[in-house]
Amino acid sequence: MNIRHKTILPWLLVSPYIIHLLVFVAFPILFSLVLTFNKWNIISPMEYIGLSNYSRILHDRQFWKAVGNTLIFLSIHIPLQIIVAISLAEILNQKIKLRPFFRGAFFLPVIVSGVVVSILWQQLLGFDTGIFNRMLTSIGLGRIGWLIDPNWAMPSIAIMATWKNVGLYIVLFLVGLQTVPKAYYEAADIEGATKWQKFWHITLPMINPTIFMVVILSTIGGFSLFIEPYVMTGGGPLNSTLSAVLYIYKQAFFYYHMGYSATLGIFFAMIILFVIIIQKKFIEK
Amino acid sequence: MCIKLILLSLFLSGICVFASSCSKNQKNDGELLFWSSNNLPEIEFAQDMIETWNASNSPHINFQPVPEGQSSEEMILAAVVAKTTPDIYANMRQGDVEFYAESHVLIPLDTLDGFLEFMYARCDSSVMDEIRSADGHTYQVPWKINPIIVLYNQDYYDELGVVDYPRTYSAYLSLAEKFKKDMDGDGYVDRWFGNTESNVLWYQRFFNFIPLYYAASGGSPLIENNKAAFNNEAAVKVFTFLQTLYKNQYFPIERLAARRDPFLYGDIATKWTGPWDVPFIQKFKPDLNFNAHPMPVPDDYIGVSHTYADPKSIVIFKYSSNPQKAWDFLQQFLSIENDFKFFSLSKQFPRRKDLLTDSIFVNYLKRNPQLAPFAKQAKYTHGISDTPYMKEILALISQEYEACVVYGKKEPRQAIQDAAQAVDLLYLNLSQ
Repeated sequence: MNIRHKTILPWLLVSPYIIHLLVFVAFPILFSLVLTFNKWNIISPMEYIGLSNYSRILHDRQFWKAVGNTLIFLSIHIPLQIIVAISLAEILNQKIKLRPFFRGAFFLPVIVSGVVVSILWQQLLGFDTGIFNRMLTSIGLGRIGWLIDPNWAMPSIAIMATWKNVGLYIVLFLVGLQTVPKAYYEAADIEGATKWQKFWHITLPMINPTIFMVVILSTIGGFSLFIEPYVMTGGGPLNSTLSAVLYIYKQAFFYYHMGYSATLGIFFAMIILFVIIIQKKFIEK
Repeated sequence: MCIKLILLSLFLSGICVFASSCSKNQKNDGELLFWSSNNLPEIEFAQDMIETWNASNSPHINFQPVPEGQSSEEMILAAVVAKTTPDIYANMRQGDVEFYAESHVLIPLDTLDGFLEFMYARCDSSVMDEIRSADGHTYQVPWKINPIIVLYNQDYYDELGVVDYPRTYSAYLSLAEKFKKDMDGDGYVDRWFGNTESNVLWYQRFFNFIPLYYAASGGSPLIENNKAAFNNEAAVKVFTFLQTLYKNQYFPIERLAARRDPFLYGDIATKWTGPWDVPFIQKFKPDLNFNAHPMPVPDDYIGVSHTYADPKSIVIFKYSSNPQKAWDFLQQFLSIENDFKFFSLSKQFPRRKDLLTDSIFVNYLKRNPQLAPFAKQAKYTHGISDTPYMKEILALISQEYEACVVYGKKEPRQAIQDAAQAVDLLYLNLSQ
């Protein structure tokens, strides 16, 4: 009896996690894989269609446009995020006045709902009444179609996403900066190194693991770009902010093409995996 | 050890009990469940109707507004999947009914006793034709409409010297040219003649392209025999008209969500909308002098201006324990007295053929002149073609709408042709 208890109890204790894993991870993944070979609108019975969903992806110009848009977003968002986060972390690592306040203030947008932030920025970036354009016209410059000009819309969203997420990466970089031994800087001081040389030759190499982590997290976060275009632009203008996840969402929940959207989701996950492997090869040292 | 096991078992069984209680409908055996929209006047009306029914009828009906979610459509879909639908749902978009009908989750109402007699007494035969599904059955009760027409600021029209409302595109554009203005002298127009959502989302076309298309074509359908039926001169004229509005800055390109209500605050003179805006304006800007007129039509168009009805229907789900009783309740729910009660509470129009002839409505409209133009329009309104692919079709039209109308990247004729081709291709792919 005692031995049986000893065998059952650990299973019971880990059962919440196992149930969670089976219900919310394993089952959805397996079900998605099944869906990729079927046509299903949720309420009608599934219809087996073989590899049609996969072949459809190859000819779906909107999906590839959405993937391209997501890559444009990443190419702006990741460098911007890293530069801003490292710069602010470096400043917040110094002994400046109100340091705890600034650390808290920069982290604040991270914990605010993405929808709230998106609505707020939609107002700020408004063409006719937005405060940014009012500032531009007040100093004699022309207005910018932040969200209505196809050339500006994605960069605007990338800037906004950077503002929203940078606080988290500042914290990560702060942790990284605080692990750099002070002795290295003291030695560099004795050698007469400038601030820039110290940053370039000591700080950056020492925080390389943090940079790698930030790049990976930003990439995964960037690939899942959804709330901002969904709330601010709906994917427009002229599909310039249609992200891959927004497109997958539309296929699933606007048109109920569950099989196709599951195929897109799995295909897109493979793209992310591929990009992460490449990043790992080139960034991690 | 035993105590730990008992606590764990209690915890797990608690979760099971909670989950099972959540999955149950809020009704006892034999009772019916009615879901309304979340709109307050509709909740008040439905509660009143159900209390009256329950006082002297059985089975009893339980009421609840559609559960909160991202959209009522999503909640209905979730309920259908979980087989926890209400017996009756009042507020389904007419265009969505075919999707559920094709999936066999709705009761064909024409198989219920007294349905057809009741409906033909209430609605025009054209309405009954419009709501009949592809399989020949009728799955919905056409309950209410909100005709989309032009709401205008009377003071601005007086300022412009408007005697007769701008019936044609050229009259509308001419007023727009006179009205647009750079109020603060920064080189940008900040007073426009109107505003309509430029967003590419499919349902936004219900409030610009579709009403104008019905107006320009005398109510021609968008889809016929599983093919695009809008590849015609009327649609080209609508796109040309809309493109001019943006090109000449008569309408702003910015999304409506990015600003305060421009009609309420006098930034625009006209707004294409439904009667729901009347009580809204009366509540939030009681001193605003406004009225409404039909949608503009092409200059060479002869006849009455038609428009989109924004129709909402009532359906009975197949999981209902007693569809005939549900229909008996709906007959009482849809009586002329109750339709009037609903109308006066919500300012939404019951889809009845006697809206302009029965004294109960006529007298009310006399006392509420701002609703009268919507009522006059009611006879010339149309729903949307019955197809389960309406969202995809409107999304395809929206793509061309944005490229041509909003950004001027395509010629109207080419854009309409491309939209029609894309719709035909959609049907071709779906039929394979």
